[in-house]
Amino acid sequence: MSEEKMDEMITKAAASYNAPPAVVPKEEMWAAIMAARSPGPRLIYGSAPRRQSRFVATSTRVWLGAAAAALLVTAGAVVGRWSAPAAVAPQAVASTVRANPTVVEPGQAPPPVTPDLPAEGSAPRNGSRVIEPVTHVASNGSRSAGSNGRSASTGAAALAGRNATSAYQLATLTHLSDAEAMLTSFRSRTDEKMDAAMAKWARDLLTNTRLLLDSPAAADPRRRQLLEDLELTLVDIVQLSPGAGAQDRQMIEKNLDQGHVITRLRTAIPAGMQKGS
Amino acid sequence: MGALAYESRPVSEIELVERVMKGDPLAERELYDTYVERVYRLAFRLAGDDDLARDFTQATFIRAFEKIGTFRGESSLSTWLHSIGMSVSLNGLRKMKRQKTREAPIDAAMSIGTQSGEPQPDLKERMAAAIQSLSEKYRAVFLMHDLEGFTHDEISGALGIPIGTSKSHLFQARAKLRAALADFAPEWVS
Repeated sequence: MSEEKMDEMITKAAASYNAPPAVVPKEEMWAAIMAARSPGPRLIYGSAPRRQSRFVATSTRVWLGAAAAALLVTAGAVVGRWSAPAAVAPQAVASTVRANPTVVEPGQAPPPVTPDLPAEGSAPRNGSRVIEPVTHVASNGSRSAGSNGRSASTGAAALAGRNATSAYQLATLTHLSDAEAMLTSFRSRTDEKMDAAMAKWARDLLTNTRLLLDSPAAADPRRRQLLEDLELTLVDIVQLSPGAGAQDRQMIEKNLDQGHVITRLRTAIPAGMQKGS
Repeated sequence: MGALAYESRPVSEIELVERVMKGDPLAERELYDTYVERVYRLAFRLAGDDDLARDFTQATFIRAFEKIGTFRGESSLSTWLHSIGMSVSLNGLRKMKRQKTREAPIDAAMSIGTQSGEPQPDLKERMAAAIQSLSEKYRAVFLMHDLEGFTHDEISGALGIPIGTSKSHLFQARAKLRAALADFAPEWVS
């Protein structure tokens, strides 16, 4: 039998391999696409699409990881830059005898450098002490540690605010990603014995969901709605006993479908990261 | 729009893309109607499951509408869309495969005792097994070309490989299938 003939027979026989149905579910998929793209909570009552996307852009998760890593590195670098000047502020110079800390009044020049400084590395003379850092007295009588003290503290406050926001955002995205993985596993589980493991997983996520709901991460109304819907779903899964009937599971899956929780989770994760990237 | 390489594109396609870029919902629906069947069919061929095929198709169009601004007209809209579709589907299948691999020990344990008495697989099953055993790149090219009628040019654009590589992959895929199904050659001759 020639190769061409064999190829022909193979192609003919392979036609039934994963043969698609004759009718493409266009309208259902379109409804799901529109639901996933529309802003706000996506609760559809009545003629809801049969199911929502179980898979949206897996590759975005790779970006999620990369973006999270980049965010951490950037935050670390910024913290390092801001904290560096404060660390070198009090310089101790082992040199000159000075009985008291020097206090410089406003408008007064700092004291001149003592000309008889010993050579670097030489031992202090008998009776010498470590010089105290020069302290400036402000016009209102208060003392400041140095010229860049105030700006550093303001910058540190702003940085702390930024870091807190970034941390909440990162924590939220990580949590949503975990929740999406959990719910996907819940829907695709093949064995009812897995319900106990699912309940434990859901319980852990539920704790974090509630923490996030009480944090600035829930300030965004859309994200808050998503977290609230997620919380309800997780409560359902936690309460699902190992011996629960198929009806209970179907009810949870139906609620998942109607609330489009998984689709909303998946669209929330890449959307948040794409904006920042 | 002047930067887009649209010279060789049909006017309707250019207009459609421009309208979608402007956020025209009717244009989005038109684009969807034009390409959904082919995208879905290919996703189904790759996944072999209606739910997954729907998921992949939906994800493809969601991503296409999000990224339509990046379409530069260097390839046809169909090729661009199928490149997204293939990326979504293959990534999704890889993810499923990883998940199944993790679950494999449980599945294997549950299937103990049920394997010995199984009948010999018939042609359909052997064919499915042979196609499944092809590497991802060979299988994709074989399914696209021989089963869904894509040209090598289209495959090249959708998979981001040279046309020669597409032809080579198809040749290799066919050779592997011939070897795997050699037992059936006498039946086919008769």
